[in-house]
Amino acid sequence: MDAEAFEDALDLSRDKSQNQGVYIYQPPKPGKASGERPSKRRKVSSTANPEHDTKVPSFMPLLNGAESADCVQQRYDTYKQLWAEQEHKIQEILEDVDSGVLSDVLSFVRETSPQTCNGCIPTALITVGSNVSSLSRLLSRLNDQLMSTNEGGVIVLESGDAPNLKTSLKNIIRAAVTNTEGNDGFQRFLTDRSGPRMLGYDLDLLYDYVQRRGTKKLVLALRDSEAFDPALLTDLLSLFKSWLDRIPFTVMLGISTSVELFEGRLPRSCVSLLQGKHFEVQEAGNSVDRIFEALQTDPAGKLWVGRNVTSTLFEKARDSFQTPEAFSRMVKYSYMSHFFANPLSTLLGSAHSSILSQNPFSEVIRNLPSFRMLCEDLVESGSTEEVRKMLDEDEYLLQTAIANLEAGQDAMRHLFRAVLLIHKCLRHTQTSKKMSVSDLSVRALSGDLGESPIVEDMLASVKAMDSEQLLEVLEVLQNTLSDDSPLAEIQNDLKSLMEEHPDSRPFHSEYNINNSVVTTTVVHQRVKLTKGKANLRAQDVEYNKIIDRLAGAFIEYFSETLIRPTDLFMNEAFLFDLRNPLKEVFTPRPRFAIERALATPFDYLISSSPDAETRISSRQPPASILYQLYLESGALVNVHDLWQAFYAVFESDQSDKCDDREIMALFYGALSDMKTFGMIKNSRKKTDHLAKSTWIGL
Amino acid sequence: MQPADVVQALSEWPHRHVQSRQLASLLHPTVPSPPTLVVHGISATCKSTILNGVLSTLRLPHAVVRSTECITGRHLLTKVLWNTLDALGQKDEWEKFGKGRCEHISSLAVLLEECLAARPIEKRGKFVLVLDEIDRQREAAPTLLSALARLGEIIPTLCVVLVLSSTPRPLFLQSASVPHVSFPPYTRKEAIDILLASPPPALGGLDMEETLEIYPHFVSTVYDTLVGPTAGSVPVFKSICERLWPKFVAPIIQGETPPGWQRATGESALVHRIVPEESSSADQKVRKPLAPSAAPSALPSLPYFSTLILTSAYLASHTPQRLDTIFFSKFSSSSLSARNKRAHHRRRLKVLSQAQAEEAANGGGSTPKKGKRVKTRITKSTLSSAFATSSATTSAIGGGAGITGPSTILTARPFPLERLLAIYHAVDPNPPANPIRTTAVADQIYAELATLRRLRLVVPASSSHAGFASTSSGNTSADAGEKWCVNISGDWIGELAKGIGVEVGEWLAGGLD
Repeated sequence: MDAEAFEDALDLSRDKSQNQGVYIYQPPKPGKASGERPSKRRKVSSTANPEHDTKVPSFMPLLNGAESADCVQQRYDTYKQLWAEQEHKIQEILEDVDSGVLSDVLSFVRETSPQTCNGCIPTALITVGSNVSSLSRLLSRLNDQLMSTNEGGVIVLESGDAPNLKTSLKNIIRAAVTNTEGNDGFQRFLTDRSGPRMLGYDLDLLYDYVQRRGTKKLVLALRDSEAFDPALLTDLLSLFKSWLDRIPFTVMLGISTSVELFEGRLPRSCVSLLQGKHFEVQEAGNSVDRIFEALQTDPAGKLWVGRNVTSTLFEKARDSFQTPEAFSRMVKYSYMSHFFANPLSTLLGSAHSSILSQNPFSEVIRNLPSFRMLCEDLVESGSTEEVRKMLDEDEYLLQTAIANLEAGQDAMRHLFRAVLLIHKCLRHTQTSKKMSVSDLSVRALSGDLGESPIVEDMLASVKAMDSEQLLEVLEVLQNTLSDDSPLAEIQNDLKSLMEEHPDSRPFHSEYNINNSVVTTTVVHQRVKLTKGKANLRAQDVEYNKIIDRLAGAFIEYFSETLIRPTDLFMNEAFLFDLRNPLKEVFTPRPRFAIERALATPFDYLISSSPDAETRISSRQPPASILYQLYLESGALVNVHDLWQAFYAVFESDQSDKCDDREIMALFYGALSDMKTFGMIKNSRKKTDHLAKSTWIGL
Repeated sequence: MQPADVVQALSEWPHRHVQSRQLASLLHPTVPSPPTLVVHGISATCKSTILNGVLSTLRLPHAVVRSTECITGRHLLTKVLWNTLDALGQKDEWEKFGKGRCEHISSLAVLLEECLAARPIEKRGKFVLVLDEIDRQREAAPTLLSALARLGEIIPTLCVVLVLSSTPRPLFLQSASVPHVSFPPYTRKEAIDILLASPPPALGGLDMEETLEIYPHFVSTVYDTLVGPTAGSVPVFKSICERLWPKFVAPIIQGETPPGWQRATGESALVHRIVPEESSSADQKVRKPLAPSAAPSALPSLPYFSTLILTSAYLASHTPQRLDTIFFSKFSSSSLSARNKRAHHRRRLKVLSQAQAEEAANGGGSTPKKGKRVKTRITKSTLSSAFATSSATTSAIGGGAGITGPSTILTARPFPLERLLAIYHAVDPNPPANPIRTTAVADQIYAELATLRRLRLVVPASSSHAGFASTSSGNTSADAGEKWCVNISGDWIGELAKGIGVEVGEWLAGGLD
């Protein structure tokens, strides 16, 4: 093999340009006229093409392209509509979560002044924990409030905006002015002044602005205070302190760890400039739970995420720093994937018969696992006619499917209503372990909530309640359930019973341990313990009947509602439960990908030889060969050994024809690649050795 | 107006009549002033107030520039020019004088001369330029001070007053015979007098007569115990008195027998906190004064995964790399000999760290012993870097108390990222059921580490002293040599790790014996 063919085989010519030491410079083609602006600074016309807007880039047709355009459009529209509703709910929750803190902070900002703080800068410390995004929501709402009353505004500064004192001051001034005046207003503000042009970082500018606007409160919020350089923070704060008699600053510090830790890191001189109050924003977990509850237990819900997705979502939310927004983005992604890739999702929208008839839905349905299950069940129960009919008649199948789809959706709604009911009950019975709606939902979605010890415990503790407690529970539960449930009847009976015997309340339950009596009798010189019922009054007996009825009603209700969602026919249409795209997308694994590409390059590249197995061969890219040799070595590698091994790979493949200078060049190239990846470095211990700095599979 | 009248006018600032007299004589409009005047004294000694008082009483035209408000040297010069124009009432004619721009001290001299010459004839008297806290000027050129001192020599009608808050070195202006006016700190008597001049803080339940009887004694006691020995200034003195007074008289108000000084409550009250304790709760605390005010402080709430990474980072920082196989290897974790080995190393490291802590407490930066018995290498460089990094973290726990605790075994040392990953796998309390099949977590760890770094809980070791700018702007190069260091005290980690079911002492060299 001559050199050229050798190169071609390894496809070297393509990546040559990158690591060539010397090359001929070729200026880019003068395609553009000289007067034209560079692409980054070109003027973008704001008049968007109206035709372009109407034709939204919608989904791809599925079913090998057999899906009609209407159908695709409907999938897209349904998704849009569904998610818009959900997003609205999420926004409401997020606003509601913050409102308490917002009013506190607002009143703090309004009430405090340097005078009330012993001459220090009024400071609000806001601990946000891992709920990092909540602060920006809070600040923007605070800004709106202050702006609407013309009191001032909020300047948000992030650590990225503050590399040094000058730049951060510039940013502060700019943010303060553009907040009310807009971008053009800022330029006008700079130019329309009577005096000489000031330096951009001169706080006199801000003073001027404050005087012009009559600002009473200027809130400076440092969103991620910990990330600021402490020295810079001290500088900034001492500067503010010095201007405090002219500019009404209030500092707001967002803290993700804890106040003590933050305070401990600042110099004492800096701490003594600040005084104020500490506010706490609710944990992210709380709002995540609420969002999940709102999305899943909606009485008009159409689509639900399944067990796998739920557990993935919550694993991510609990284990790492994640904002509620990120959580809702993940849910949005799963909704999107459902509508993007599932042709049955069309059925969630308003089903026109034209759409149904045009598309091969019947074929799709017949391929569903849930259809197969249904058929098996039907055959087992002996109604083969039905199965035959569904297999033969498209029309009939579609009708059954749609009826089943609606029934399934109803079942899901009932399921989540039951989950809510259990949750409320649990909250009332106060078992030691707090179960959140999400925990219960995961169990319910996998179908084993009904038999779980949680429900049994709950029933036992409900049974043991006395009448007062029970009435409370029933009243709470009444709100979640519909009126025609047996619960209302039970409640009425209980109430009337209580009215009949107003003086002997509360009634006691026989299931309560405290109400049973242990009797000791000596029989044949042995002590015998018998647990007997305490003497129950007549009304207690009545009450116990009610309790038994209630327990029976509960058990019946749960066995009816707590079904396994995957057993429902057509569950593929309204239940999204694919773990994989979600996990892959939200936890990318670049390192793993690089390691895999280097260790087994033909997972990614097309092999030119048929026997491209795990062995190291000269057909693999040189970096990959070297990496595999590197994996075999210890923490320190002799470079000469490495070269020998590298050479041997080529030698064995090409026997006598190989050119060792060529291979040496490849070796050097590969070595520099490895160095770029940060996998090797020169060892200080031995001069001719390389130190290994990464290990595979960590 | 004679200097004596000026002193009279400034009598509301007690114990400063010598200085006001000196200033009044030096700056008197009818007397030729020295071209440069230095006023120095530590902070809170009434320098600026007296100076401004003298200038306004003498009705001298003057301009004051606060150096701390100027970000750069250029900013200072520009401000000097504007404030002068403002004081001379020539603000509308700024275009005549360098268009309001001044970038160099030499042009400042020219411009100042021009604008002083542009005054009407009858107003061509003395002009005083006060540069407050000029020694704190940011980004000042090294020649700035001596150049400013020359301004008065170049412009005859100008007198430059430099206010310094540090004691000047001899001849620091590179010119002889510059008059200095010193503002010494207040003596004990003066400070107490000043404080007693204002009425004592009124408290309900204590009549004025009684207050006036006790308060002077209280104030002098506070001075002797807390302010005098620490060279505290008058504002500090005042705030201490205000904070301690309610606690001091609380037993009287509540009709108890005086318990004497409570060290615990007193000391915690002296420290300025950003969030002050509520006064109502302070009253309650008086009743049980020895209740631990340093109760378990609120822990930062980190998610599970981040906590585990932080714990691993802490362990990586505090375990010598040489002992990794002994402490973290899973092959020998259960065998008896491995346990013995581990216990041996723990004891040894504990002894070593105690010796080190004592040495650090005694000798400071003296060269540590390099005995052969001590196998863990503690070179001078590691020690000094430890001192540099520990100021914020380990010293917070307190030197004396830290000797016994497992948290301060060895000061945090930098570790490479791969080691963190390996230790993470070793300490993971919920290891994956099938370690070979599970996917790698390194990429997830990197993402969390970025957040931890933003919170400054884990920092790149090389940038611990470098500026923030160099590290923040996307410096994410996968440099193999880059090392990291944990930046949080061990007590926190211990608590945090317990929350996720990891016992730090179990892994830590020197802990749990």
